[in-house]
Amino acid sequence: MNDIPQGAGLRVEGLSLGYDARRVIEGLDLSLPAGCVTAILGPNGCGKSTLLHALARLRPPLAGRITLEGRALASFPPRALAQKLAILPQAPLAPPGIRVADLVRRGRAPWRGLLQPWSAADATACDAAIAAVGLGPQAGDPVDALSGGQRQRAWIALVLAQSTPFLLLDEPTTWLDLAHQIEILSLLRRLNRERGITVVSVLHDLNLAARYSDRLVLLGREGLIAEGSPEAVMTEANLARAFGLAARVLPDPVSGTPMVCPL
Amino acid sequence: MTRGLSLVALLCLVSLLSLTLGEVRMPLADLWQGLTTGEGPGAMTLRVLRGPRLATALGTGAVLGLSGAVFQSLLRNPLAAPDVMGFTAGSGLAVVAALVLGLVLPMPLIAAAGGIAAALVVAVVSWRPGARDNSLTLILVGLGTGFTATGLATFLGLTLGDTMAAEARRWIAGSLAARTWSHAGQVWGIGLILALALALQVRALGLLELGPDLASGLGLRVARARNMLLATAVLLAAAGVAVAGPVPFVALMAGPLGIGLTMARRPGTRLLYAAGAGAAITAGADLLARAAVPGVQLPVGVMTGLLGAPYLLWLLSREFGKGEA
Repeated sequence: MNDIPQGAGLRVEGLSLGYDARRVIEGLDLSLPAGCVTAILGPNGCGKSTLLHALARLRPPLAGRITLEGRALASFPPRALAQKLAILPQAPLAPPGIRVADLVRRGRAPWRGLLQPWSAADATACDAAIAAVGLGPQAGDPVDALSGGQRQRAWIALVLAQSTPFLLLDEPTTWLDLAHQIEILSLLRRLNRERGITVVSVLHDLNLAARYSDRLVLLGREGLIAEGSPEAVMTEANLARAFGLAARVLPDPVSGTPMVCPL
Repeated sequence: MTRGLSLVALLCLVSLLSLTLGEVRMPLADLWQGLTTGEGPGAMTLRVLRGPRLATALGTGAVLGLSGAVFQSLLRNPLAAPDVMGFTAGSGLAVVAALVLGLVLPMPLIAAAGGIAAALVVAVVSWRPGARDNSLTLILVGLGTGFTATGLATFLGLTLGDTMAAEARRWIAGSLAARTWSHAGQVWGIGLILALALALQVRALGLLELGPDLASGLGLRVARARNMLLATAVLLAAAGVAVAGPVPFVALMAGPLGIGLTMARRPGTRLLYAAGAGAAITAGADLLARAAVPGVQLPVGVMTGLLGAPYLLWLLSREFGKGEA
């Protein structure tokens, strides 16, 4: 992970986000290296999702700049950006009655010209995406009929079908029970290890984030608290600054990663 | 696709009944003779009396159905339709105003200008700085805009005098009386061009259905795609109004009926079936309007109003029930 060339990932320089009246993020500098699983953590209202939206160019910065592989994010044509970077928003809308396979097909949009018919490459990418999330047997089912965990996997299949080297996810585990949360997080890590996809997600559960991420970005109300490996970021001092939370940090008995025990 | 057959069968049935039933019953044998030999009462019915009226009804219903299905998909609300939201009333008002002022312009242009003006009024009145689009607000503002346009059109229509009164009524309530092949050709011609434009935007519609953030992440220029689709839908509705007036509730009912009959899921097929359902509703309502009560020729708009108003009430009660739950 240390041999990645400079500028290979997403870089944020002097970024300010929010509205003129209320700036959620001010003068943020950050580097999200390619090839890593990164989790963005922080208290409610600290601007985690806002930052993720800015990284996907869903929201223009008030100041500063973001680069993707050394090129200004603002300079990408929409489809070229969508071939590089996929985002799964927090509450995407499933059209009523849509089947899993039809939902996933829409992930091919950036690769298809206006009059270009459905190609073998499109079909292969969709089949692979559905297989990767383990929804092969449910491909013909309506999305409404799936369980919460399966539904989230169907959405992940859609952004996988987009075949991008960068994948951003806004709270992909919210609303899921613990078993489904682990299912989603281990799926994301497997995709990273097997395909080298750079994964950046906004997460709430600190212990799971530490267990399944290579890097953590911890935001507080006054900006960036720390970034780096889980061990370097998840310290008692940092948690106190970010959340105002008094806690002990112990090694996780299973994975050895930092584990938070609130006092 | 096989489920689409029920819709095709419905269209054929409505068309055949429209040609045979009416003030004078026209047996199929006479129609066939008229079609093949070009002579006899059947030929008169096909060429002059019921043929062009049916063709106009089918075309009008199809464009209104397409328009309604686009609005319902974009605003994610079954109440969204150009008739409920006042765009067709705006088109009708523009035509009445042109009649009063004696403007000589092509009817589709006048209707399109009125529809676009009504859409702009709805957009401006419901706009709040920083607020995200709320489809129910848009629909309610549209409902008010529609009432205002209909009221103004009625008022202007009264100034036209007795000779023009029937013509004015067409543009207020919607009527298919006295339609010729030129009307049918006009609505089909403009309708096909707009349908082609819509076909090129079907994929964008499919992405917008996933919500603006995901659509944008998939490389769509969301604002531009939305505006293009809305403009196409307003023009489709105006193309219908230009020949038949603001026939109410066809656009509102067509999409759900088409989906209900065919269980279509993909955006393209849903639009196709909405067009078919709109055509069937309009032709069927026109048949009822002129043949149900002997000796009474109601305008088609009265009949679709009678059919559509209970449906609208049912939708409204369901929508507000959902809001309270």
